[in-house]
Amino acid sequence: MIPVRALRECLDGAIPGVVSTCALDGTPNVAYMSQGMFVGPEHLALSYQFFNRTRQNILANPRVTLGLTHPHTAQQYRVHLAYERTETAGPIFESMKAKLAGIASHTGMTGVFRLQGSDIYRIEGVEWVPGSTLPAPGPEGDPLPALRACVESLPASPDTESLLDAMLDGLERHFGIHQAMVLMLDAGRHRLYTVASRGYPVSGVGSEIQVGDGVIGVAARERVPIRISHMTSEYAYGLAMREGGAAPGGETEIPFPGLASPGSQLAVPIPGLREPLGVLFLESPQEMRFSQAEEDALVALAAQVGALFRLFLAELDLAEEFLPAPVREPGPSGSPLRVRHYAANDSVFLGDDYLIKGVAGNILWILLQDHQALGRTQFSNRELRADPRVRLPDQSDNLEARLVLLHRRLAERKACVQMEKTGRGRFRLLVTRPLDLEDMDPGEG
Amino acid sequence: MSLPAPLHLDSDHLRFLTGGISINAASSDGNGVPSLCRAIGCRVKGGGSRLVLFLSEPAARTLLEDIQRSGQIAAVFSDPLTHRTLQIKGWDAARMPLEPGDAEVVEGYRAAFVERLKSIGFQACFVRALLGCGTMDLVAVAFTPGAAFNQTPGVQAGAPLEGPSR
Repeated sequence: MIPVRALRECLDGAIPGVVSTCALDGTPNVAYMSQGMFVGPEHLALSYQFFNRTRQNILANPRVTLGLTHPHTAQQYRVHLAYERTETAGPIFESMKAKLAGIASHTGMTGVFRLQGSDIYRIEGVEWVPGSTLPAPGPEGDPLPALRACVESLPASPDTESLLDAMLDGLERHFGIHQAMVLMLDAGRHRLYTVASRGYPVSGVGSEIQVGDGVIGVAARERVPIRISHMTSEYAYGLAMREGGAAPGGETEIPFPGLASPGSQLAVPIPGLREPLGVLFLESPQEMRFSQAEEDALVALAAQVGALFRLFLAELDLAEEFLPAPVREPGPSGSPLRVRHYAANDSVFLGDDYLIKGVAGNILWILLQDHQALGRTQFSNRELRADPRVRLPDQSDNLEARLVLLHRRLAERKACVQMEKTGRGRFRLLVTRPLDLEDMDPGEG
Repeated sequence: MSLPAPLHLDSDHLRFLTGGISINAASSDGNGVPSLCRAIGCRVKGGGSRLVLFLSEPAARTLLEDIQRSGQIAAVFSDPLTHRTLQIKGWDAARMPLEPGDAEVVEGYRAAFVERLKSIGFQACFVRALLGCGTMDLVAVAFTPGAAFNQTPGVQAGAPLEGPSR
């Protein structure tokens, strides 16, 4: 039997593994391993950085004996491996590349450690090396009870916004993770936008990350968790990181809220049907904050949240459509606020303040137009999904997440327009000031 | 097969090898399967013409069999603080009886390794468990250093050690 859990802890620990190989003539070679990871119950991957004697040997003779030491018990293992292939792209490679960047930075080897490939080995056998060991640590390191408590706290009624909130609250309460955010995927624009966060001075809701950029972007692109245990500038998001340039008419920047100097980062994709729904991102100023076991638990949590999210979307789509007959409510009084909309990127400005852009900006503009022209205040998600003016990038688009984003941005900005949930998949628009709507370049709208 | 000329290791290298750093030794069987074991100390003899590694017999059983069969050994020495790493190979390795002073070398090595790892957060009990070996289990393997390679991470990694041979 392969002691998968113990070996993963060894690979994750601070004691480097030792790689023993031999040439065809039997001449042995022994070297230190930079990084290794499990890639399934019977395989592991070792980082390939240099064309050295180890590499020459495995290409000629695939047999490797890997020495590992458990970071808590000091139990030593000898893992007998057979080299199968090298991967130079894809989830295993990207996950190792990110981790290696952290290790390189931690050990002062930035620029020296560069991943050329992930060598995939089949595990042929594992030996427990006889010797003294220490007792295994107690169950306090086991994240299963926290996972259970977190899953139990997720809502059962279909409300995607409270689902994301429950997940972030659960992470703080049960896992003691204080900095976390959820970003949802805008597949059409290859971007991820923040819809909820915890533990930052500003929420950063609406800030964006390019797919493929940093740990979050790589996790989304490769659909693989990325965990970095040491601070590295290679994958850092600067505080000045912007959401993609200025819009016609003004800055449309929402700063990314992340820590300036994270010691540990973990990005876990939230699975969707084809593309991931988004990414759960966690960080800490502390180095080596997130263990392999916690990563496992959070992958399970993200899978549960992803499945519930999709279930909620389906339930909301099937929900009984009940809309009260449009009633023209008396408009608010006071001096009107100028609201500008730029069709080029659907950015919306309330007065001089940038609020939002993209699909969520377009939705807001439609709501405001209907409110202005028809006096409408009641809307349903289903109706918006069917509205040709909404122009969703594709049928599977996550309209719910965009409404969550819009709701939060309006609430955060304490805008004179607010959205208030009135029932399953329905909401009411509250407008407390007369609005003067201006479409700045209606030709493209 | 003629053995390579013995390698001269200067005093800096010899200090490094005996300085309480991590040591692992490897060999291979006749079928291309490598063997491996952590060593628990190194003693220099004859001014560096022979190196003696100490091992725990139960942990090193396969390695000892392979060494007995082929005489081939590769040993990697690495300082966990600086990552300075040196690999030394030999072709005449053989198990030797323990000599007076060997047990003291092993105990000195343990103490030095404990001290070194303490500075990067490892507890003494952990390091002592890692280097644990009953008195009756201690064995020695001696070899003539035949080749050495700088394995400190960097562009020079893998380069043979330069130095005057004698």
